[in-house]
Amino acid sequence: MEEPTTFERHVYKNASVYHYMKISLDLENGKRSFSNAQFKQLIISALKELYGEVGAAFPFDLLKFDPSSLTAILRVYNKGLVKLWSALTLLGSYQNEACAFRVIQVSPFLLALSGNSRELQFGESSTS
Amino acid sequence: MSPELEKCPRSLLVCEKSNFMNEKSRHDIHVSKHSFNYKISVLIPECAVLPANISGVISNFSPYYLVRDLPVYELLQDKSHETVVQKGTVYAVSYNTKIDEDNSIALLPSGQLVLSLNKDAYEQLGLEGRPSLYNHRKAMRYVVTLNLRDKTLAPGTKRYQRVLSGLKDRLPLRYDFLFTEHNTDEDKTLYKLLSQYKPVEHKAVLSHHTLKNLPCPTLYPSDLQGTTLSCDPHSFLEWLGAVNLDISCENAADSFLSTYICPEPKSSVSQALLCTITGFISPEDVYLLLQELRKYFDEPKFTQWLSLTVHGFMDSPVSWGATEHGFLKGGENFYNLVCFKNQDYWLHMATGAHDGCPP
Repeated sequence: MEEPTTFERHVYKNASVYHYMKISLDLENGKRSFSNAQFKQLIISALKELYGEVGAAFPFDLLKFDPSSLTAILRVYNKGLVKLWSALTLLGSYQNEACAFRVIQVSPFLLALSGNSRELQFGESSTS
Repeated sequence: MSPELEKCPRSLLVCEKSNFMNEKSRHDIHVSKHSFNYKISVLIPECAVLPANISGVISNFSPYYLVRDLPVYELLQDKSHETVVQKGTVYAVSYNTKIDEDNSIALLPSGQLVLSLNKDAYEQLGLEGRPSLYNHRKAMRYVVTLNLRDKTLAPGTKRYQRVLSGLKDRLPLRYDFLFTEHNTDEDKTLYKLLSQYKPVEHKAVLSHHTLKNLPCPTLYPSDLQGTTLSCDPHSFLEWLGAVNLDISCENAADSFLSTYICPEPKSSVSQALLCTITGFISPEDVYLLLQELRKYFDEPKFTQWLSLTVHGFMDSPVSWGATEHGFLKGGENFYNLVCFKNQDYWLHMATGAHDGCPP
């Protein structure tokens, strides 16, 4: 017979080691085809442009990449969040074409990226 | 490098462990206090088809209504007052208002009308409120809470007139609103009340699919913190996020793209059911779903656990109960229940920077 479980409660503050970002790339002249490696390389080059080789020398993961919409989910250590975010913000061009990264959502919980109420949209028609 | 660059916003995760049969268990309170729910996600390992009792409960979820351009003072008018306030079952939240930029409004079944206003709106409205708990240096956001059940705010009183004239003349706020009500009778009082504003009825959208060959963490009910037998709560929630977002959990440690792997200890399950419900869902409906999910283990099953995640609205002015909620770099306020075969459960409640500690 299993023992009845004891009640436990723990509060973790800032215990998540990573932050997660959902981003998308806007290109001035419409969509291009990127492989996931090219996309990651673009972000690395943005980091190097802003922070140099040493400043950009921290890892981040491209957890998911959707080539059709050019959206991606990144994972970065907390220490690298500000650098990564600022590098994405300040990247202005790719191969002489104007571009911009849009940061759609940032959270210390990956699970939160799957439930963004700002995505709740309604069409103009009546009952769905 | 400057240490300022390495800072990031504060987050909180509360983890509780108990048993559903325990009379002191507070799972029902935690679920009922989380008023504004946008999305529910259920993960059942070793399951291919959505069980009929669960899909039955979901199809019986109360509908919700979208009302465009509703003047806020209408929530106080006599007719509304009787239905909304006295009955105490209506939830309402402003739609498409970003709480870090605009004003955001919510109505709780307890009769509390919460207005989260920027500085200009607050000064123009002229009602008593308090500065937001999450102001930085200058107070840029204020929260006005009106208890519509308070006798001093009963229709006809001086204070009621003042509030009404404030919302009608001084600051005529109009927003799109989402309304829902947990209805056990077929009365449809909420719809009748809203009918003059042309509400559009919506049902929560259900979608489900089966995942194959999924690496899955092994969880032991006694090890909540993940010290010996299970993985730690953050790794588990990360894995749940990966499953929900269709992220690969099998990467080499030296891969260029991603090094993410399923946390240890793990096993591979041949199939798992992932089911999501999106809309404006009342806590009562969430509780009914939870009761059905608990019954999943009434018959012998291969899996030891299943998971229920409930996401709150990012732009709601409150998270649990009347605790103020805000949006700094994110507005996450979600909770996750892991239900075990033996009716033990884990409850993880997560919030971001501009949030009070979950209860």
